[in-house]
Amino acid sequence: MSDLKTRYSYGGDEFIFVELSEDMSLEVNFQAMAITKKLREKNMPGILDICPSNASYMVRFNPDQIHPDELIDELKKLESSVENLDDVVINSRLVDVPVLFEDPWTHEAVMQFRDRHQDPESTDIEYAARINGYESKEDFIKAITGSPFLVSMIGFVPGLPFCFQVVPREEQIEVPKYVRPRTFTPERCFGFGGGFSVIYPVQGAGGYQMFGIAATPVFDKEQKLPDFQDSIVFPRQGDIFRYRDVTREEYDAVRAEVEAGTFEYRKKDFTFRPDDVLKDPRAFSDMVLGRLYND
Amino acid sequence: MIKVLKPGLQTTVQDDGRVGFYETGMPPSGAVDQYSYAVANLLAGNKKGAAVLEITYMGPELEFQQDATIAITGGNIPPKINGEAVPMWETVKINRGDVLSFDFVKQGARSYLAIAGGIDVPVIMDSRSTYTLCGIGGFNGRALQEGDALSIGDVQETDVKEGTRLTEEYVPEFSTSHEIRVIIGLCSYRLTEESKQRFLELEWTVTPEANRVGYRLKGERLDFVPREQPFGAGSNPSNVVDLGYPIGSIQIPDGVEPIALLNDAVTGGGYATVATIISTDLNRIGQAKTNEKVKFVSVSLEEALKARQETNRKLEEIKNIIQSS
Amino acid sequence: MKEIASPLPGVFYRRPDPEKPVYVEEGHEVKAGDTIGLIEVMKSFQEVKAEDDGVIKSIKVEDGAVVEAGQVVAELE
Repeated sequence: MSDLKTRYSYGGDEFIFVELSEDMSLEVNFQAMAITKKLREKNMPGILDICPSNASYMVRFNPDQIHPDELIDELKKLESSVENLDDVVINSRLVDVPVLFEDPWTHEAVMQFRDRHQDPESTDIEYAARINGYESKEDFIKAITGSPFLVSMIGFVPGLPFCFQVVPREEQIEVPKYVRPRTFTPERCFGFGGGFSVIYPVQGAGGYQMFGIAATPVFDKEQKLPDFQDSIVFPRQGDIFRYRDVTREEYDAVRAEVEAGTFEYRKKDFTFRPDDVLKDPRAFSDMVLGRLYND
Repeated sequence: MIKVLKPGLQTTVQDDGRVGFYETGMPPSGAVDQYSYAVANLLAGNKKGAAVLEITYMGPELEFQQDATIAITGGNIPPKINGEAVPMWETVKINRGDVLSFDFVKQGARSYLAIAGGIDVPVIMDSRSTYTLCGIGGFNGRALQEGDALSIGDVQETDVKEGTRLTEEYVPEFSTSHEIRVIIGLCSYRLTEESKQRFLELEWTVTPEANRVGYRLKGERLDFVPREQPFGAGSNPSNVVDLGYPIGSIQIPDGVEPIALLNDAVTGGGYATVATIISTDLNRIGQAKTNEKVKFVSVSLEEALKARQETNRKLEEIKNIIQSS
Repeated sequence: MKEIASPLPGVFYRRPDPEKPVYVEEGHEVKAGDTIGLIEVMKSFQEVKAEDDGVIKSIKVEDGAVVEAGQVVAELE
């Protein structure tokens, strides 16, 4: 990873922003994960927030307790200590996430904002399928649901998972964001922008392409559901989500369970090493799908 | 109890913020002007971190159903008790049955009303601050409405004598043009050298889109260095691979209108950030109103830390003044 | 004569939306509580209301103009 040109920068007097790479890759995301994990374990005084993101990370600190330059020195040491990712273990969960593609609610929002889209004549999913070289949107949905996604960052609003698919680079889907952001996105909308899929936790503004709707919440401020007992947000960085194409019937059934407060994600605790993924993403994906649904 | 007769434009319960949950996408919230907030609590005799009311642009009308000690600081929205003017930046007694109201805003945009004992609302994720976007914290997760009743808590530390007031040197002045210090950095390498210059030269105008999430500013278009976009970033030259946004960071979506993020910030996203407002001046940007002017001044880390120490020193002095009065 | 002042700094609008007629014209009779315009601030709209009954003598601010808090937008007699 010697080709990474890491940028260390002050974010005012309370933040350090570290950009490990301008490009997204699984490798750089694992590096950010590893550094921030080690930093957390050090329990340094004056550190307020540690925020790993996709190809970068950010630390908020109290400069009355730790000088920013002292912190940067520490971060540089941590960066070199995780250079080959050898001793890095990621505590993860494999999670089944049911998605209803081209649902009526998302479709209504798609049609409402055609004037802000690159291709007003198509729907978002038709456009995305075409520019990624798929013959049909059915093939495109298969590509999304065929391999799982790594939760590479949480942010924007509480609980929003940025997810990067575990496939070789040449198979990665990439789409532009809307030309002008929308003022409305349905709650639980399954979106895609740049190289990332997301689930919008709450309704609101947004700029990602809209493909469907997750049946299950990622945010529950009442903490009614069993998966939300410890936190109002469900996703954690390092989780592996499999988006599964479901019928309207299954969607409705899951929604009823959510409404009743009984729904629990199908999930398995799982640990892995970055190298397990990097040496053969395809084999890793097949293995985790087997683990999630069979073992 | 305090009864809300009129809510004002946007009056919310705030404190020193919800720290430690940024990685889950949860911004800190809390008082935008932390200096005025802290002084209000000191004058009311409260412990550090007590919850106050943040008043925006237009004051509420509040009926006190019990005697109380209060202090009002921040932007100049002149307070009145039963129609009679009362001073800001001073410890004031209010009696049961009195009505606290406010005149038209004179300077600044946000005022802080501290009540001895603090506003008593449930602590959610270590804070009483309101985050309205998700309806978390504060009074039912929202701004006050007519008919609400607020309880007073028990986080009073000292009994501050009525009439205790601060000398001018501790009272910030807010005008209609605001010099805001920033540290250039983050993804500023994305801007052309010329645009970086223009960013600092221009006098920006605050647009109507200016709230606790962020301030959108109008000026002129800025340019990004042309490049083949990195993988995963999206196609617009202002796009980067989605990253974390510091509080106070400034992004320029599509190069059109810079947005400075405040306490209810979105915690991350895919726009290049180019500078960050220093902590001391985060207290000032939130006092700028729509149509007022903002000029960004580039400072070094050392200057930012010095300004911060200066603010800390002032708060320490105020504490001593109040204790010895 | 009574003055009606804007309670807020912002943009003054005389109509509920661009397609609709103005709230009041000069010479119109109004009752206390009647809306005479809107102030846009922080992406929200606040109504400016008459506090007394009377006849609108003059409208002092143009549609879409920026006003200060406390600025007189209309006179009533």
